[in-house]
Amino acid sequence: MTATPTRPARKLSMKARYSALTRDLDWEPSYVSSEEMFPYTSFEGIKIHDWSKWEDPFRLTVDAYYKYQAEKDKRLYAVLDGFAQSQGHLSLSQASYLNAMKIFLGGVTPLEYQAHRNFAFLSRHFNGPGPRFAALCQSQDEIRHAQTEIHTLSNYNKYYSGMHSFLKQHDRVWYMSVPKSYFDDALSAGPFEFLIAIGFSFEYLLTNLLFVPFMSGASFNGDLPTMTFGFSAQSDESRHMTLGLEAIKFLLEQDEDNVPIVQEWVDKWFWRGYRVAAIVAQMLDYMLPKPVMSWKEAFELYFEKQMLEGLFPDLEYYGIKPPRHVQQAIDEKEALSHFVYWVFYNFSFAANFTTSIPSKEHQAWLAENYPDTFVEYFQKPRWDKAQRIVDNGGRFFFMGLPQLCQVCQIPMTFPEPGDLTTICQRTSDYNGEHFNLCSDGCKWIFDREPEKYVQAWLPVHQIYQGNCGGPTVPDVLAWYGMQEGDGGEIAGSRDEVNWAAWHGTPAAKEA
Amino acid sequence: MALKTIGTYEFPSRSRQELYGEDMLVHVWWKDNPMFCAAATFRAPQAMSWADFRAAIVDPWASSDPDYDASHDFSWGLDGAPFTPEPGTSLADLGIGHKHTVSFWG
Repeated sequence: MTATPTRPARKLSMKARYSALTRDLDWEPSYVSSEEMFPYTSFEGIKIHDWSKWEDPFRLTVDAYYKYQAEKDKRLYAVLDGFAQSQGHLSLSQASYLNAMKIFLGGVTPLEYQAHRNFAFLSRHFNGPGPRFAALCQSQDEIRHAQTEIHTLSNYNKYYSGMHSFLKQHDRVWYMSVPKSYFDDALSAGPFEFLIAIGFSFEYLLTNLLFVPFMSGASFNGDLPTMTFGFSAQSDESRHMTLGLEAIKFLLEQDEDNVPIVQEWVDKWFWRGYRVAAIVAQMLDYMLPKPVMSWKEAFELYFEKQMLEGLFPDLEYYGIKPPRHVQQAIDEKEALSHFVYWVFYNFSFAANFTTSIPSKEHQAWLAENYPDTFVEYFQKPRWDKAQRIVDNGGRFFFMGLPQLCQVCQIPMTFPEPGDLTTICQRTSDYNGEHFNLCSDGCKWIFDREPEKYVQAWLPVHQIYQGNCGGPTVPDVLAWYGMQEGDGGEIAGSRDEVNWAAWHGTPAAKEA
Repeated sequence: MALKTIGTYEFPSRSRQELYGEDMLVHVWWKDNPMFCAAATFRAPQAMSWADFRAAIVDPWASSDPDYDASHDFSWGLDGAPFTPEPGTSLADLGIGHKHTVSFWG
């Protein structure tokens, strides 16, 4: 007998490995029906005929995925250690820069965690192994992002106000209800709507507009950890964008009947996401001591050019039109950030960040970037008067609670189309009850699914029902977990006074 | 269109009037004053007279703006229609309902 020499095992190609380790692990159910095994993929009316048509261009496998992510984490944590050891918190452009990060930590980081949860759900509940595996990777990405964002910003929490209770505040604070309710809306939808809401509209259509401004702001303002986090997340984000695009194309190609359903989701989730992006707009134009680019410029580049001129002509082939109400977003680009920062200036006594009248130089920058709107509609009627009040020893705050939109939950501040001097007010009556909406976009969303939005946990209404700690502002702020120095005016705030003391500037000697 | 759901989907409004007992929410919108970023929301008894509502609730809020003059002769609206407040009449009798909007300008 002669032993046959065993040939060394040949290494599988990436494609073959991907196939063996993901799709080949799928099976047809034999003792339950596929409807019992996957109970959530039919009620939305989406028809899928062939799940194997889902293409995953990355062809990642679990072992490769964890190897890449571990390497990225190592690089990030090395930067975080170095920054902490070299007293990096002193080298920011200004203490007030961190207002942007306080909003990011409370408003965005918890959404990463929620995205992790729902993608984990999808990784169980889609019928096809391709989308299940893509959802699994994204689920892992999202929890990694939540963790690394928390770790990245935790060093600042040792030195600065407003970051100590971000999770509790995400659930309770009035303006946090805007991103929270947006995501709750997606989490409570079916799996395909979630995929279009978050996978496509959030991660593809609006992602550069939502994400890049924070990371560029970090880079311009000396926040090396956040910038490094941004790089660490970037390769994941490009995978998420690909998933989002693949998702919409897959649904559209599977059945013509899917097209009108997907169109309505694109219409709804564009507007929902755009309203959340209003918080980014004010951050970009008002909160960065060293501005990167204006909201208008970012909107034109990342949305009008990349999406309306780049993406939608491709989607037209499938019968998908640009989002309903997109023109309103375009018309608002000259004014959006100014309205929203003014809301924050009115109410920062009840927030975990501070606001102030923009400096003369900053107002000049705003006037230059918004030549048709800033001076006439915002500087003269608002900031000049706010300055007069300060000169007389006061500080303008809105001594009450604002009217909120039933859908986006933002105070109803947005302008009537074509008229920047009048607030847009829309209403709907449903089941004998009166509801208020901030725009035609939010009214359209409400009227489409009023059963859903009547359940909105509107912070103002909850305060008046006695569910938020008590009837007075100090009661509510205590329930929010606010501490002395978290909110209010920048001038004289705890962060500003500390900053001056750390840098030995004259203001510190006076203080 | 009907909501597409996995089961019966009937939930009460989280802002319905009965949650406020004998009170209701009223929005007040100072239309031509951009200092106020939005209309305000107040909780007020439905039986409260307009004069009390004005003095106890509207005036203190509007005084956030130091230029507010309570004796000024404002024009009033209710949900976009002209409206004439009667000092001794209750909010409910004036036709102001839960979560409706009273506006003033001029």
